[in-house]
Amino acid sequence: MPFNSFSYLAFLAASVTVYWLLPVRLRRTFVLLASLAFYATWSVAFLAIPLLVSGVVYLVSRWMCAAPASAKQRMWAGIGTLLVILVFFKYRDFALDNLNALLVWMSARPRGFARTVAMPVGISFYTFEAIGYLIDVRQGRVKALPGFLDLCLFFLFWPNVTSGPIVRARELFPQLGFRAPFEPRFVFEGIDRIIWGLIQKTVIANTLGVWVNEGFSKTAIPSTVDAWAVAIAFGLQIYFDFAGYSNMAIGAARLLGVHLPENFRQPYHAATPAEFWARWHLSLSRWIRDYLFFPINAKYKGAPLSLYCSLLGVMAAVGLWHGADWNFVLWGAMHGLYLILFRVYENARNTMPALTRSRLASVGWRVLTLIGVTAAWVPFRAPNLRTAGAVLSGMFIRPGMVMTYNTTFYLFIAAVIAFCAVEPLLARKFEDGETSESRGLAWTRVLGRPLVYTCGLLLFMMFDQHDAQFIYFQF
Amino acid sequence: MISDTAKSRTIIREAASQVAGRPVKDSQRLISSGLIDSLSILKLIALLEKGLHVSIPTETLQPEDFDDVDTILETIARVAEPAA
Repeated sequence: MPFNSFSYLAFLAASVTVYWLLPVRLRRTFVLLASLAFYATWSVAFLAIPLLVSGVVYLVSRWMCAAPASAKQRMWAGIGTLLVILVFFKYRDFALDNLNALLVWMSARPRGFARTVAMPVGISFYTFEAIGYLIDVRQGRVKALPGFLDLCLFFLFWPNVTSGPIVRARELFPQLGFRAPFEPRFVFEGIDRIIWGLIQKTVIANTLGVWVNEGFSKTAIPSTVDAWAVAIAFGLQIYFDFAGYSNMAIGAARLLGVHLPENFRQPYHAATPAEFWARWHLSLSRWIRDYLFFPINAKYKGAPLSLYCSLLGVMAAVGLWHGADWNFVLWGAMHGLYLILFRVYENARNTMPALTRSRLASVGWRVLTLIGVTAAWVPFRAPNLRTAGAVLSGMFIRPGMVMTYNTTFYLFIAAVIAFCAVEPLLARKFEDGETSESRGLAWTRVLGRPLVYTCGLLLFMMFDQHDAQFIYFQF
Repeated sequence: MISDTAKSRTIIREAASQVAGRPVKDSQRLISSGLIDSLSILKLIALLEKGLHVSIPTETLQPEDFDDVDTILETIARVAEPAA
């Protein structure tokens, strides 16, 4: 049941209505049942996987607390078990394909193996939450260990189970008592986010997706103009697709009075490669920072070799987390390389202050960040490395000005870029509006909202493509 | 290891200001606001160890333990050991 479907919107409306009619003591059970039902719509059999993860986390966390002296070893045993589950469902085919390629290269006979049928929805997301939870227990950040059903609710909470935001136990558990009394602003804030998310997905991302699919299905090297247009179009498509999903997830939780963390802060306004990751997929960036990057580099006191190796390694792993393919690893490694180059530049600041503090350097980094991020999207989207190479050749090596798409494509990209340019201003206005309404409901706005919501739903119906799933859903 | 809280606070504030590249207030969020990025936290820890004459074992720490001057003060009181 994807978020961008009428069946989901009906499920959401019914669930939220029942939730607020129930007494507080029944709400947690109801949300757990609704979350189980939501997950079961993807696959009843795969419901066993998040329940298995909850069971592993429940047992290992208690096992860790039973013997604090051995907690570290037990935590690693738990993390190892979680990674085995993830690897089996997500990376098994990739690992065996690469093993066979290696065997062929060594002139040995490749081995046949049964392919995994499908991947459980959201497994990458709730596995990361589970690993973070075990580390938090080890570090004494989880004060009272929750019960098994509480953990099931934490991992299966329907607004964020399929594609995040990745939450930490200490930010979601205190809210899972569902004790907040009803406030009208929960409804308005929630529906605002959901309608805007639907528009981002169906009107902008899906429209761009048609051209992007066409662009990445060609085998010939495109002209420079077309290569850049397709790469920019995908950069915009994936942003509006994932930001749209995130808005719908945050909005659904808001309808229940629950706050989920934000996932985006106008990423294409980043002035440096480091800032891009402080604006893109924030909940994943935070997870990587807290549970991977900081522990590795703190251990080696930020020594340059460990810093640069960890930047490259961690970002390549981030790429692999997105998908079991070398394209994703290349995307992550490109970002790792950008971060290393930026760090080298920052270190040079002390020796060349005149150069690095200039306006030119600042504008230069902004432009380079946009170019680098756009180029990295090419292997992320391309069906294989050959196609990625063709598009990148068109972008950087073989100049050509031929425009093979219809004018609407270029105009649509220009319009979306213009929207992105003013997005921070619009976001600020929207936040100001929310704050002023929180103080007291502005009834003129309340009356105007149904009209806005109706227009949003009409746009959704006009642009809806029933088979266009969210890009991050596959991760 | 410095036992005077006021003096420790001043050293922490100065270290944070040096890393952030601008003066910071005690209640100002350093990490969650993006003022100090994940790489600069390591520089901050090195400056704190040098200024306060302590060793900060980081195994049980996360960046949020350095989010503002007061939190850093609590973190150091909790985990820091006298420098060898």
